[in-house]
Amino acid sequence: MKMAGKTGDGRYQKRKISAKQKLWILLILTLLLLLAAIFAESICPYDPNMQNYDMALKPPDAAHPFGTDRYGRDMLSRVIIGARTSIFSALLLVLIIAVIGTTVGVLCGYAGGAVDMVLMRVSDVCLAFPGLVFALAIAAVLNGGVGNAILALAAISWPKYARLARSQTLAVKKAAYISAARLAGDSPFQIIVRHILPNIRGQILVTAMLDVGTMMMEMAALSFLGLGAKPPTAEWGSMMSEGRSMFQTYPWVVLTPGIGIFVTVVLFNLLGDAVRDCMDPATRKERGIL
Amino acid sequence: MKPILEVKNLTVQFKDESDRRDLRRKPGTKENLAAVHAVSFSLYPNEVLGIVGESGSGKSTVARAITRLIPAKEGSICLDGKDITAVRGKERRQIYEKIQMVFQSPAGSFDPGRTLGYSVGESLQNSGLSKQQVGERVKELLVRCGLPEEFADRYPHTVSGGQCQRAAIARALAVQPEVLICDEATSALDVTVQKQILHLLAELKEREKMSYLFICHDLALVQDFCDRVLVMRGGRIVEEGTPEDILQHPRSSYTEDLIRAALL
Repeated sequence: MKMAGKTGDGRYQKRKISAKQKLWILLILTLLLLLAAIFAESICPYDPNMQNYDMALKPPDAAHPFGTDRYGRDMLSRVIIGARTSIFSALLLVLIIAVIGTTVGVLCGYAGGAVDMVLMRVSDVCLAFPGLVFALAIAAVLNGGVGNAILALAAISWPKYARLARSQTLAVKKAAYISAARLAGDSPFQIIVRHILPNIRGQILVTAMLDVGTMMMEMAALSFLGLGAKPPTAEWGSMMSEGRSMFQTYPWVVLTPGIGIFVTVVLFNLLGDAVRDCMDPATRKERGIL
Repeated sequence: MKPILEVKNLTVQFKDESDRRDLRRKPGTKENLAAVHAVSFSLYPNEVLGIVGESGSGKSTVARAITRLIPAKEGSICLDGKDITAVRGKERRQIYEKIQMVFQSPAGSFDPGRTLGYSVGESLQNSGLSKQQVGERVKELLVRCGLPEEFADRYPHTVSGGQCQRAAIARALAVQPEVLICDEATSALDVTVQKQILHLLAELKEREKMSYLFICHDLALVQDFCDRVLVMRGGRIVEEGTPEDILQHPRSSYTEDLIRAALL
């Protein structure tokens, strides 16, 4: 990120924000977003589920900055409340798949042989299906709901982390310092915990950050198709789905939750990029990050 | 005198492609699959045994097989009277109290995300010493290897190759081993630093009463430092003797080639 700053002699000079500063700014913004989602109830100007047919489909004005939907519910309140379901389900989903995938991947990479064969073929099977279609099938069998949508998406998304962790583990395993650790008397478990995981967590973390946005979109897609959050729970994807027939006449019903998705996805993607910049291995220690 | 380390008929074969990447550069004859073939030698207490030979001659493979980093296909390895060829699990970890190794690449043998102090003290930590005891011992070891105490808090990429190799020696000494394998420990360093490290090794040998298995491709270094030398080629030992013997009366043509190459 570059900014123009004025130097003493009046000339403009490009000033670089350091990767660390950028990371802090984005972390603070993300924290604000998360806080807003946690304390959504106290921030909401209206009860997000209160229906009022006299006020149905009002365009944005001072009382309802985001307008109202067809039941007269305040869109701003619903978008704020929806942040909780949308963001936290995506975060939970990413946490689940990152933990499962990394565990499987590191095991495969380190153990090799039959363990590697079996687990990787299982992950190949999961990858062989077209992602969202498979998730749709699982969600449909399990019946909708946020919890089942998370399960369905987790089932198709973990192999990505398993593959990443496996290849990273294979690379790290060859390093002389792993041999040195074995000579120091480390057990395989100690080698994984002390030397392999710390050296691959950067890659995993960056991927996970970038995935928060993707997973939000996929959760929204499932909700949009009616297999995620159930009404009247406010969730950005299902809100867009509800309003899609009114898009041309009452665009705010679709656009406002869309803005929520857009802002959150962009924020998490930028955060992922910033984390990656700071993780540059040659400079990481000097900058004192992690 | 009883040998501290006795290797009999050691044969190492690489089973899959990735393991024998060094050998694949050569024309793929069947013989190349055996990286080390029927190697036997003994290392006596307080002795420095050199192994010389060109790259790919199997020197490092011998070292890695002795330390059980790779499995031996045939033969036996006895350390201090105990057969360690097939020990597993906890028993395998126990052999590292007697045998230690200094690796070729100074920086590569330290975890980039850990301080030098952590890596040096890892074996002590595993042996159940308290954090404070480990810290004190690590500082003592660093000082003994010619590094200031503060290096315990430094990261590998902030120190030079020579300093890193000193830390690697400190790490190997932590458990007070009886056998120290130096696998091309000086090859990645420049000539003056090489001399310093050799000096340190010679000094430590006197003080700690260790035996060295000194793996090296440089005949000149071997000449000054070793009591006895093995010459390896293509995974076999082609010659054995004192450095003077080998340099002055080489019996195999390969040794002659090596000498000629070193004197160029």
